[in-house]
Amino acid sequence: MNGSLTFLSVAPEIALAAAVVLLLLVEVTFKPRAWAWAVVAGAGLAAGTALSAWQWVAHRGADTGTFWNGMIAVDGFAALAGLLVFPLAGLGLMSAWRLAASQGRRGAEFIALVLLAAAGAHLMAAAADFIMLFIGLEVFSLSLYVLAGFTRERVDADEASLKYFLLGAFASAVFLYGVALVFAATGSTTFYGDGGIADYLAGTVIFRPGVLLAGLALLLVGLAFKVSAAPFHVWAPDVYQGAPGGVTGFLAAAAKVAGFAALARVLTAVLGARADDWVPAVAVLAAASVVVGTLLAIVQDDVKRLLAYSSVAHAGFILTALVAGRGGVGDMWFYLATYAVQVLGAFTVAAAVSGDRAGRSPLAHWAGLGRRAPWLAAAMTLMLLAMAGIPLTAGFAGKVAVFRAAIDAGYLWLVIVAVLATVAGLFFYLRVIVAMYLASPEEGASLPASPAVGWGARFVLAVAAAATLVFGIAPWPLLEVLRDALPL
Amino acid sequence: MDAPLRAAMDFPILSVIVLLPAVGGLMVLALPRRRGELVLPVALALSLITLGAACWLLASFETGVAGFQFEEQVIWYEPWGVSYHLGVDGISLLMVLLTAFLFPIALLASTSITTRVRGYFASMLFLEAGILGVFVALDLLVFFAFWEVMLVPMYFIIGIWGGERRIYAALKFFLFTALGSALMLAGILALALTAGDQLGRPTFDFVELLGVDLGRAAQFWLFGAFALSFGIKVPVFPLHTWLPDAHVEAPTAGSVILAGVLLKMGAYGLIRFNLTLFPEATVDLVPLLAVLAVIGIIYGAVVATVQKDIKRLVAYSSVSHLGFVVLGIFALTSQGLQGGVIQMVNHGLTTGALFLLVGMIYERRHTRQIADYGGLATVMPLFAGAFLFVSLASIGLPPLNGFVGEFLVLLGSYLSLPGYAVAASLGVVLAAVYLLWAYQRMFTGPITVEANRGLADLGFREVALLAPIVALVLFLGIFPKPALDRVEPAVQGILDRIEMTTDYQVPQFGIEADLPEAEARP
Repeated sequence: MNGSLTFLSVAPEIALAAAVVLLLLVEVTFKPRAWAWAVVAGAGLAAGTALSAWQWVAHRGADTGTFWNGMIAVDGFAALAGLLVFPLAGLGLMSAWRLAASQGRRGAEFIALVLLAAAGAHLMAAAADFIMLFIGLEVFSLSLYVLAGFTRERVDADEASLKYFLLGAFASAVFLYGVALVFAATGSTTFYGDGGIADYLAGTVIFRPGVLLAGLALLLVGLAFKVSAAPFHVWAPDVYQGAPGGVTGFLAAAAKVAGFAALARVLTAVLGARADDWVPAVAVLAAASVVVGTLLAIVQDDVKRLLAYSSVAHAGFILTALVAGRGGVGDMWFYLATYAVQVLGAFTVAAAVSGDRAGRSPLAHWAGLGRRAPWLAAAMTLMLLAMAGIPLTAGFAGKVAVFRAAIDAGYLWLVIVAVLATVAGLFFYLRVIVAMYLASPEEGASLPASPAVGWGARFVLAVAAAATLVFGIAPWPLLEVLRDALPL
Repeated sequence: MDAPLRAAMDFPILSVIVLLPAVGGLMVLALPRRRGELVLPVALALSLITLGAACWLLASFETGVAGFQFEEQVIWYEPWGVSYHLGVDGISLLMVLLTAFLFPIALLASTSITTRVRGYFASMLFLEAGILGVFVALDLLVFFAFWEVMLVPMYFIIGIWGGERRIYAALKFFLFTALGSALMLAGILALALTAGDQLGRPTFDFVELLGVDLGRAAQFWLFGAFALSFGIKVPVFPLHTWLPDAHVEAPTAGSVILAGVLLKMGAYGLIRFNLTLFPEATVDLVPLLAVLAVIGIIYGAVVATVQKDIKRLVAYSSVSHLGFVVLGIFALTSQGLQGGVIQMVNHGLTTGALFLLVGMIYERRHTRQIADYGGLATVMPLFAGAFLFVSLASIGLPPLNGFVGEFLVLLGSYLSLPGYAVAASLGVVLAAVYLLWAYQRMFTGPITVEANRGLADLGFREVALLAPIVALVLFLGIFPKPALDRVEPAVQGILDRIEMTTDYQVPQFGIEADLPEAEARP
């Protein structure tokens, strides 16, 4: 651990913050065209990605450490989170580009918020202290609250934003209370090092763990809310349905990645010594999420709402990997990375079908899409099949990975629940496919104008489709790489 | 071994066979929209090349050798123990040939498809690739991937190009099959990890898993998970309810493939995995499976008898015929298993041909109701002759192929399960009832419906479709030895394994079942 690394440890956040400041200053000073926003945002995200890549190369496995008095960790886990979050934010911006460009001068704020969310998400993954984690969580969440209601032209978008904010703030408070209780039990908020929580828990027998367990439970609840795991998922459908179409994909993908990154580090690395306490709770959360998410998705008639409930089920699948503790972290990353791309792709198609600003995307809009827009329909089909876990898509490899991890950890019952939910899940994924290919539009039904797809959205869909197929046919290289993405 | 021969053995023929149709599917998709007339020739050419490759496989297959041939193995991911492992034995060889043989016929029978032609032929070719993959995969995860992925093209074939209730039928087909396979996936993962406990590393490799000693309880659970999946596919009574809907609503070529090949995947899975990986559970569960098989035989036949729709009749006859296959498999005798495998091929040929014939008459009259026909033999003698010929083969009349399979199945099951064999033989009688009665109502007597008077007899294309099947039906009926010779060692290998790992004794003719007592007699 050399001193010169001190600033480099938070370099991705610095790069993103610099890009945000630059973007806003340039905007008020020069009032440039939209492409200038793209240049600044792209440069910031590229710098963040490159710095994360450098961290990955230099500090994965060996030579890891914490900086800023144990506030920031530099390890494979944090580096990988950067390699995932920043490109994802870039894709999210491309997917939302038409929406951002249509907002006039406020578009720069929109882009700045996406960049801030990305910085917050990475901070959540890299935090080595509960206080830092909380700061990351708030930066990230506040950006998303605003993004959810950004267009301010529809009541339901405002409602979504407000609902997201109130429930999110409540969850943050619960999380903070959990931090306080853990601090009370262990005397520290720092994760690593002498006197850190991991160190304390590993070396101390706690005879009356009540306070610690209560803190652990509250932490779990707070983060389960962020990843929309049942029964803390009730915000997700309303928010996803209310938020403007163009940004929902980023909202869904980033929330999952950031939430699970924080959850995985807190559970496996920090509270690893108390695994016997939290693993059963996580297993129950996972089972509840897959069952509730799947069953409620079946009865939806709105594709965005359907995808929201399916994302609850996917939170359950990802939690399934975490019952294996540290051994499941690589599998979690694989599922998370591939799912994030899929959900971004799916919402991008939804935005094209029902409009960038529209909240709702009723199934009737999708009727006959296979004829009206064959490429969009094909992309959506691929995303849906991947989410359903059909082989030769990354979704199947991800499911096998997390199920394998859970069976290895002795949670066969959880896997059986999950595979049954997978089958039930086919039902609603197929409903969308039925609407696109097998059903014809109702006579006289008012369809939105012929789907318009910008170049950014096309690029996002191409990347999502390519990643889904490539990592479906040959997931091994990525799985192998992700084995190194472990927290300190 | 000389150099050219060794080179021939190293050639990844199985991968090529699986990939050829997939490449064909991509080629069809890549054709420009204006050149619609090229779609069928390209698709047909690729499926014929696949058939050629399969014939080459047949020619270079070493008869009389147990174990897998043409093996290819590439390690994919060491930590999971996944490898791309392909290979064929006599059983899968026949299945590969059947698949490669039926697909060109099914494609050529699809000229009535006029909407989204590229998508249709691409789906068919992807389906072929998936099915061939199922029959040659020797790694359980690879097997599962093929098994599951082939649902998608079949779903679209039924759902887009099917009949009136196509969406319902397609969804039912997909969900039923997926329900079974989901539990199988859990089973496969549990199996691989159990193996991991014993071998020190997990493995999905079928050949390696044969060496793993599973506990008795584990065998039962895993047998259940696998058998549920395969049983739905076969379909074993009472898991058959998806089948009539799917068959009736699918387009003609879809029905041909569904009945001809897809159902065989279930029976193949039972033989390949259940019998060998879980021998103890197999031996103990024989009564259950045999009862279900016999119920399927009788029930399928009875329900077929009362159908008013000829396509539904053929669909239910499949339930009955596949019952014979399952009975033969779980007779656990050499004759029964061989008969089961041969019957799989036979059913693929005859039922495939029956669906083709039903499709041909449907294209002319757009009705499948038996009551709408009558006296067709006078206007369509060629068609009537073909229908009668195939029906007789399906009933099991010597010297046609159905006889060989059913006879062996009954013989084999009589050895180990005499009561069941007697009950099952009722199914043969009932088959004659429903098929010949249908023939009588549709073809004999005077023409009852005026619309039928002007029907054209089979054209050149239709005769060309049926001729290869008729030839094979005759050939396998008169001279089944080539097929049996290739199946026998594989079957013997499976039975040897069951005898080795359990205290089950395969009964044989001329040897009393209870050996010690027989020796005690002077």
